[in-house]
Amino acid sequence: MTTLDIWLGILQGCRVTASVTLYALLFAVPFGLAFGIAQYLTTGLLRFLVTCVIEFWRSSAVIILLFVFYYALPVVGVTLSAMTVAAMVLGLNTGGYASQAVRAGLQTLDHGQKEAGQALGLSRTAILVLIELPQALLVMSPTFINLLIQLIKATSLVSLITLTDMTFRAKEISQVHYEPVPIYLSLLLAYFVLCYPITLFGRWVAQRVTPGREVRRGV
Amino acid sequence: MGFDLDFAIATLPLILRALDMTLLVAVTSCIGAAAIGFNLEILRRAGGAFGLVVRFFIDFIRATPILVWLYCLYFILPFYGVRLSALTVGIAGLSLYYSGYLAEVFKAGIDAIPKGQAEAAQALGIGRRDTVIFVIAPQMLRNIAAPMGNYFVSILKATPYLAVLAVPEMLGEAFDIASDTYRYAEPLTVAGITFLALALIISRGVKWLEDRLATSSAR
Repeated sequence: MTTLDIWLGILQGCRVTASVTLYALLFAVPFGLAFGIAQYLTTGLLRFLVTCVIEFWRSSAVIILLFVFYYALPVVGVTLSAMTVAAMVLGLNTGGYASQAVRAGLQTLDHGQKEAGQALGLSRTAILVLIELPQALLVMSPTFINLLIQLIKATSLVSLITLTDMTFRAKEISQVHYEPVPIYLSLLLAYFVLCYPITLFGRWVAQRVTPGREVRRGV
Repeated sequence: MGFDLDFAIATLPLILRALDMTLLVAVTSCIGAAAIGFNLEILRRAGGAFGLVVRFFIDFIRATPILVWLYCLYFILPFYGVRLSALTVGIAGLSLYYSGYLAEVFKAGIDAIPKGQAEAAQALGIGRRDTVIFVIAPQMLRNIAAPMGNYFVSILKATPYLAVLAVPEMLGEAFDIASDTYRYAEPLTVAGITFLALALIISRGVKWLEDRLATSSAR
C-alpha cells in the first residue's frame, strides 16, 4: 500500500471530521454565549442552576458522555443519529468551556465601562451588547481559537460511535492492510496539518489583542 | 425496555471496584507528565537545535488528539518488537501527551519569577543549584499550582480513553458489564456519574488549594 493510498483513505474521513466540527459549533457557540452571559448576570439560586448545567458539561469526561448519550438515550425512547449525539456532546462540552471564557472576559472588564453606559442612560441590554460583549469576546478570542483546536481533536472520538471520520478510516485501512506504522503516523500528521495552522493563527491573534504583553495561551 | 434503576444500582459496586485502577492510571500519569514536562521545559530553555526540536514536539502534541497517540503507541510499538501491556502503553501515552501541556505551565511559572530573585541570591553568594532549589522552585510551584491542578483533572478525565485499549478502568469495567448483560445504558450511565463526581471532588480540592495559596501569598 503506497503512502498516497493511505492519505486518500484517511482523506475520505475528512468530510465527517469537518461536519462533526461544524455541527458541534452550532451547539457550542450559542451555549457558550448564553450560559456565560447568564452566569455573569444572574445571582443566587438562578446562578447556581446555571452553574450546575455548565459544570455538568464541562466536568464530565467527554468520551463517557458520548457513550452514555449514544447508548442510554434510545433506552428512554429518544433515538438520535450518531452524528446528532456527537455534535451535541462535543458541542456542549466545548460550549461549557467557552462559557467560562465568556464570563471571565466580562468579569475582567473595568467597572467604569458599565458605569459610563449607565451614565449615558443606556439600558442593561444595550450596555451588554454594545459595550461589554465586544470587548470581552475580543480579549478572549485566543481562548476561543484554542477551544476550536480542542474540538477538532475531540472529533477523533466519534470513530468510537461508528461515524466514519479520519480516525475510523485509518483503523479500517489498518485492519485490511496490516501496516499500522505508516497508517497511524499519517493519521497523526493529518490532524497536525489540520490543527497547526489554527495554532499559528491563534498566536497571531493573541499578539494583536494583547499588545506589549507576553503571549498567553490558555486551555 | 426502559431504564432499570435497580440494575443500575447493582452495577455501582462492580464499577467502583475499578476505581483503584482509574486512580492508579491518573496518579502515575500525572507524575509522569510532570516529570517529562519539566525536563522538556528545561531542555527548551537550554536553547540551540535541541530547544527547537523540543519546541516542535510540544507544538505537535498540542495539535494532535490523545486517542490517535494511544493508537500509535499501541499498534506501532509491537511492530518494532516492543511488547508492553495495554496499561503501560496507556500510562506512557497519557504522560507523554500531557507533558506537552505541562511544559507550557512550567514555562509560564518560571517566566513569572522576577530576575531580581536569582540576582539577589547570586549577590548573597548562593550557588546556582541551591538558587534553583530554594529560591526559584518554591516560587514556581506557587505560580503553577492552579493550572497544574487543572491539568491533573484533565488527565483524570482522560483515563477512560484507556478503555479503548481494554484496560480495566471504570469505563472498561462498565463495557464488560454491558457486553455480559446486553444492557449498555445502565452501566455506562453509572460510570458517567461516578466520573463526574470524582472530577468535581478533585477540582473542588484544586480550587481550595488555589485559594489557600492566594491568601498566603497576599499576606
